[in-house]
Amino acid sequence: MDQNNSLPPYAQGLASPQGAMTPGIPIFSPMMPYGTGLTPQPIQNTNSLSILEEQQRQQQQQQQQQQQQQQQQQQQQQQAAVAAVQQSTSQQATQGPSGQTPQLFHSQTLTTAPLPGTTPLYPSPMTPMTPITPATPASESSGIVPQLQNIVSTVNLGCKLDLKTIALRARNAEYNPKRFAAVIMRIREPRTTALIFSSGKMVCTGAKSEEQSRLAARKYARVVQKLGFPAKFLDFKIQNMVGSCDVKFPIRLEGLVLTHQQFSSYEPELFPGLIYRMIKPRIVLLIFVSGKVVLTGAKVRAEIYEAFENIYPILKGFRKTT
Amino acid sequence: MAYQLYRNTTLGNSLQESLDELIQSQQITPQLALQVLLQFDKAINTALAQRVRNRVNFRGSLNTYRFCDNVWTFVLNDVEFREVTELIKVDKVKIVACDGKNTGSSTTE
Repeated sequence: MDQNNSLPPYAQGLASPQGAMTPGIPIFSPMMPYGTGLTPQPIQNTNSLSILEEQQRQQQQQQQQQQQQQQQQQQQQQQAAVAAVQQSTSQQATQGPSGQTPQLFHSQTLTTAPLPGTTPLYPSPMTPMTPITPATPASESSGIVPQLQNIVSTVNLGCKLDLKTIALRARNAEYNPKRFAAVIMRIREPRTTALIFSSGKMVCTGAKSEEQSRLAARKYARVVQKLGFPAKFLDFKIQNMVGSCDVKFPIRLEGLVLTHQQFSSYEPELFPGLIYRMIKPRIVLLIFVSGKVVLTGAKVRAEIYEAFENIYPILKGFRKTT
Repeated sequence: MAYQLYRNTTLGNSLQESLDELIQSQQITPQLALQVLLQFDKAINTALAQRVRNRVNFRGSLNTYRFCDNVWTFVLNDVEFREVTELIKVDKVKIVACDGKNTGSSTTE
């Protein structure tokens, strides 16, 4: 009867704060210090009590090693603490009659590894608090938030449309079939433009936020509906989002294209901005000498923010000093 | 085939009303009235193109617009028509505009 059923016995030690890089996953972490007893042990017996004793012994060994590895494992502690607290509480729940509740383990988790994002009540003197930024451990965020400038979305109205009827009866509509096979309609609030095709599909452009884009698309659908067509609102999807911001310092584009040539293309005779094609997230950035940056190609807002956070330290490195 | 655009003007409407009266009193046939109107279209188009030289500026706020069959229809609000000599203010004006190069024969009014 294995009461510690959250993890196999050999991985119990890995669930503790110092022992694993990711919470709860029984991996053989390369970070594991030798000789602490954290290397996976063969299963000696399935008696939960003895496993618990072994676990406590391992933890005491870990504490002795803790001061040597604090800086490196601070993040891992905090990440593992979430799982560890969960596991310790679940382990406590499954202890039952056994009087050996892992008090040491529990209190240790609480004081040295607070949940991410919260400041602990009793800051441990041993472990300095650093925010969890796994991608760029040493730098802080830029403090600049890109503003969304344009959202392009599509929706299917689900029925064939007679564009001439729509153009003749709706307000603020243009229809020139010789030039373009869609009705171009505009509304003032949110200020957007829609391309409405005879298949019933529609493109909505110009909104400044995802919610506005959806609202505008619904307004166009309502216009079409009021003209007598059985319009529905199927498969609304945001196809592209454009954001812009200003880093507030001039940038050496020549330097940037030299070091990041696999991502950048800079032809000042063609276009004054450097075109940076970021791989992850897949965003295209137009970077200008003035420090203004345009980000496009995002399907979600987070991609714009992530791309900017990625490029900002790079741009800081190419700040013009004159 | 000139634009029949100008039939719905003060001049064009007066003509149409007169023609209708003549038809009522059996003095002309409807076919003849149609021919008169077609001639009117030609005449008014050439007259405006050749005999009118003055220029008027206007400015207002756009309420609605439409473009269909190569015809623009605008509705403006609070418009000022400005000519060198005088100024006219209007609350609402509807503008129907056809292509000036006369590329297509328009049957819409």
